[in-house]
Amino acid sequence: MLLNIYLKEMKDSFRDRRTLLLTVFLPIIMMTGLTLFYENMVSDGEGEEYKLAVENSITPEVESIFVPFENISLLKSDNPEKTVESGEAQGALIVSSGFLNSIENGEDAKLTLIGDSFSQNSTILMGMVTEALDHYEKQIIANRLEAEGANLDLVHPFQVEQREISEEDPSIDLLAMLIPLILSIAIGVGSAPAAADLFAGEKEKKTMEALLMTPVNRATLLLSKWLTISSIGAIIGFVTLIVVSLEIFFLTEHLKKAVSFGDNMPIIISVCVLVIIVYAMFSASLLMLTSIIGKTVKEAQSYSSPIMMIAVFPVMITTGIGINEFGFHHFAIPVLNLFSLLKELLFGIVDYEHILVSLGSNLLLLAIVFIVCRILFLKDKWVMN
Amino acid sequence: MIEIQQVTKKFEGKKTSVTALKHVSLSVKEGQVVGLLGENGAGKTTLLRTIATLLEPTEGKVSVCGYDTKSSGNEVKKRIGVLFGGETGLYERLTARENLEYFAMLYGLSRHETKVRIDELARMFGMRDYLDRKVGGFSKGMRQKVAISRTLLHDPEIILFDEPTTGLDITSSNVFRQLVHQLKHKGKTIIFSSHIMEEVSMLCDSVAMMHMGELIYHGNIEDLYKSEGSRDLNYIFMSKLVRGNNHHAS
Repeated sequence: MLLNIYLKEMKDSFRDRRTLLLTVFLPIIMMTGLTLFYENMVSDGEGEEYKLAVENSITPEVESIFVPFENISLLKSDNPEKTVESGEAQGALIVSSGFLNSIENGEDAKLTLIGDSFSQNSTILMGMVTEALDHYEKQIIANRLEAEGANLDLVHPFQVEQREISEEDPSIDLLAMLIPLILSIAIGVGSAPAAADLFAGEKEKKTMEALLMTPVNRATLLLSKWLTISSIGAIIGFVTLIVVSLEIFFLTEHLKKAVSFGDNMPIIISVCVLVIIVYAMFSASLLMLTSIIGKTVKEAQSYSSPIMMIAVFPVMITTGIGINEFGFHHFAIPVLNLFSLLKELLFGIVDYEHILVSLGSNLLLLAIVFIVCRILFLKDKWVMN
Repeated sequence: MIEIQQVTKKFEGKKTSVTALKHVSLSVKEGQVVGLLGENGAGKTTLLRTIATLLEPTEGKVSVCGYDTKSSGNEVKKRIGVLFGGETGLYERLTARENLEYFAMLYGLSRHETKVRIDELARMFGMRDYLDRKVGGFSKGMRQKVAISRTLLHDPEIILFDEPTTGLDITSSNVFRQLVHQLKHKGKTIIFSSHIMEEVSMLCDSVAMMHMGELIYHGNIEDLYKSEGSRDLNYIFMSKLVRGNNHHAS
């Protein structure tokens, strides 16, 4: 009976164009957009060309400062500042008259750098120009010291060696934020129409009355409907994960390089699948509750909107934290722990205690929400309008 | 067959409480066709829902075929078929056949029984041409036929119709009336609520009149005509209401 009801609900849900759209097309579109956006973000301006406006009178010697920086292209203009304002260049450099002579004579020389810190491209260009000028400045100092017969080591009194605790590619941190966020949003958004339809929709269309008139246990109906919502959520989660994996593999360079799980690959994939299923079940319970409370699909959708936003808070909390800083509470608080767990997994760490605590706490909360749903579903007030 | 004893149904709100049924007692014998008459809000639908186990009485007791609706709900459901007016309660994305097959499964019919029964009902209501089309594109009449078929799928002993001809065209209404005749001949017990007096006087053996949650009359329709000295059910109903209102005022 349970299986037959479940199969009918699945058939009915997948005949709904909204479910199909949200299950297949939305994850593909969302994932493609976000994966490419993050790939572009981590590429750090590689291959991009940034235009630096300079005066027409710029000398070849000043131009040569920027030769090592292939990304910087000089744009000669009568008024470099105006060129930046009009958006033709991302930055401008104004060189005072007799700049090189002043340097040669040991007099004050002045450069004015104009940029727009609200623009990411302008910020990147300003960084590169500052680096080029720093390099040029050090060269001048070295030349001067050499002319004075001083030791060149005076310019570099000490060396800094910087080492990272984690050997992981920094791009993995972005993935650790991106993947759980997209997964949770896709699962929540994708299963919401089916959830709203299966309870509030059935009340609205009076099919619920017809169902309740049959000699089928209400608990069986509730369980089959919950299984349907959970399955749709899980399917969306799998589609999303497959799409993101394929896109990282085929469409990106930096993100692809960041993902290397080595020997842990099978266990990491298995735990990811488990996390998707548990989150889909958890999300289904909450969505089911909103749908039971809602008298109409519209009302149920209004109640379910905050559930889709639940994912935003864990992202905000876990983004700034290193995996070595995670405490017990990061794995004990439902939803937050799924983000912490996925982050840990993406860093290639498989901690069975964390996995058990995370899945257990979610299942416990899920069971409580399910019991509340069951209590409500047994009351006429909540099953009939 | 159906025994309703002193049933009261109250709907409790946060601030207000509405008593939809007040000490209603009614007895319906096997094979009887009872017309339930009353204005909007008189309590007809609440009474039908209470018999159908969809609502629990606040006070009193309802038994169907000897089973208490509260303690033996599933036994009652197996023996009862209900069609509520307005929305037909069908799954729009499923075909008429899929809708019927689904409910046949819920009523515990075997695959063979389901096939035979659906063929029989499709023939009876002339639904063969659209049995495999999605319900979403159906007219109101077509939907109503599928909904009636769903009500009769498990061949229930008792059938409750709540304003079944509301919104139906003349042809579909006539089909429904013929159906009630057929069911009556088969010995089914039927209660149906209606605003159409002609329909009630044509189909029913007895009438039950409701006003403001109270049962103001229940008896044989011919006895009613005799006692009121008229065969105009509309007139009789209105005069009963006036008497009912006067009784409430006093």
